[in-house]
Amino acid sequence: MLQFPRGSCWKAACRKKNRGSPFVRFNSSFTSDNFAQLASRPTSLHQIYQSLSTDPYVNLSIEHFLLEHAPPESNILFLYVNRPCVVIGRNQNPWLETNLQKLHNDRAGSDNDHDDVVFVRRRSGGGAVFHDTGNLNYSVISPRTTFTRNKHAEMMVRALHRIGAVNTSVNDRHDIVMFMDQPRKVSGSAFKLTRFRALHHGTCLLDSPNINILGSFLRSPAREYIKAKGVESVRSPVANVSSALGDALAPFSTQSVISSAIEEFAQLYQTGPDAVRRAQRAHAIEPELYAGDNWVAGAVGDYEANAVPEIKKGLEELRSLEWKYTQTPQFTFSTYPTEEDPRERPALPASLPPPTRVFLRLKHGAIIESGISTSDDPSLAAQQTSRMHEALSGRNLHELQLLQWTEILLSRLSTDEEPDTVRELARFVANQFGYS
Amino acid sequence: MSAAARVFRPFTSRALSQKLPLSSVRRVSPATGFPRGSIRAFSQSPFLEVKKYTESHEWIELADDGKTAKIGITEYAAKSLGDVVYVELPTPELEVGAGEPVGAVESVKSASDVLSPVSGKVVQGNSILEDKAKFINESPEGDAWIAEIEVSDPTELEELLDAAAYKETIDEE
Repeated sequence: MLQFPRGSCWKAACRKKNRGSPFVRFNSSFTSDNFAQLASRPTSLHQIYQSLSTDPYVNLSIEHFLLEHAPPESNILFLYVNRPCVVIGRNQNPWLETNLQKLHNDRAGSDNDHDDVVFVRRRSGGGAVFHDTGNLNYSVISPRTTFTRNKHAEMMVRALHRIGAVNTSVNDRHDIVMFMDQPRKVSGSAFKLTRFRALHHGTCLLDSPNINILGSFLRSPAREYIKAKGVESVRSPVANVSSALGDALAPFSTQSVISSAIEEFAQLYQTGPDAVRRAQRAHAIEPELYAGDNWVAGAVGDYEANAVPEIKKGLEELRSLEWKYTQTPQFTFSTYPTEEDPRERPALPASLPPPTRVFLRLKHGAIIESGISTSDDPSLAAQQTSRMHEALSGRNLHELQLLQWTEILLSRLSTDEEPDTVRELARFVANQFGYS
Repeated sequence: MSAAARVFRPFTSRALSQKLPLSSVRRVSPATGFPRGSIRAFSQSPFLEVKKYTESHEWIELADDGKTAKIGITEYAAKSLGDVVYVELPTPELEVGAGEPVGAVESVKSASDVLSPVSGKVVQGNSILEDKAKFINESPEGDAWIAEIEVSDPTELEELLDAAAYKETIDEE
């Protein structure tokens, strides 16, 4: 397993090593304070980093900084491993793509000290994926003019072949699959394109202990009720790369894949041997940066994310509930078939009055239209709907926890229904949206 | 993709912008001509000059009112992005600066920002694209425009690439 220090005491150790100007001739070491300067230095054409952080927000924000600030002609490899998290694509819907109830409830408070799986929306496109410490993320940032969507997935396949996973290849979705009983996905790709640059990042399931349950984090209880615009994930059977190497004598080593990925990147972009040597040792020695005339290599992490204002700004945006929830494309939730979503619906819980109907239309994660009623009398149902909508109109869905649903429903429907029935309805609705 | 291309400005338009505000040029019809004959060096109608391009593959076309403009992505961009699956439209009243995102498109797992070629205020996003993102692939430089903005300063358009200069930049790629 990869030995990623948690980054507590290394800052001080690192600082002491500062040897003055960042533009010392070559192959010099630098402190983390020089990261932003070195990464954006016009001559830093080859950059290879490993992250010491397992915080997905931190890693995505460092990556975004490199996309925006590294010189336009540079080629960059950034490798990182995240703590368990579910990462959805930029234009996806968390209520449809994830099981929010199984994820850390980021809507309630801001404690970071928990072991739960965290929910993240990335800036690139594509579908929802699960990460944990058995998953290696690779990210290549290169000029847009020479970029193709398969280039770096193929680079990764060559790296996997080096470690013996020879039954891997890139498929037509730019993912890496491994041929076993059937083609199983081991790596998913996503891209972000800017004016001059292309970012390709991908997961690589090497040895995930959660391989058999990761699907459960990506299955929403509300999927039969929600019809969403935006991008829907494509479900694929998955496997660990390690499962193909089961007969090897040595235990599976993430470090060997990192090492092969660096070698393949260096071949693809003609990175010099000094840079490669420093990059290869980045994880083992003290977390610091090395730079030569045209390269930078080393380890980065939480320190940079908080010390560099541009990274910090991106980090705050990624962590914000606005980005995570209100960036969601328009969608509807309906417990009954509608013209725009005629699918048959599962039966409602028996504890609810049979005529119960729940319909919501959301834009930017806020309710713009609703129809919640429990009566089979059309005029009473219409009254209930309008009373409910007064309370719901404009509300952000992620801010409506069980307590809020209960209060709103009790205040608007208690003249028509028993409080216990209303509470049941509140529980049903809140459950669909990730609150128990 | 060179820095030189970004500052490229045809001589004729530079002369125009120095002599008189763009809006007054636009109001006169090409037939009745320009107030100063010496500037009429170019043979085409000035209306053809009103559609401009950026190196990042957006187009902008000023409306006849000289104040509002539509922004979209070029045929070249639409083709190279592949099937568009989602378009992020800007909300009305959003103030954008030149080079800032005025929307984004997603295609084949790729998110790309659509940058506003000039500064202005968003009037509306193209609601057709809400239901039919793929329309971008069918008519990128026609009805599948992405945003309509109120342009802060129409002379900013003069800084942008004309059709010929834009074509040169994509031929280089």
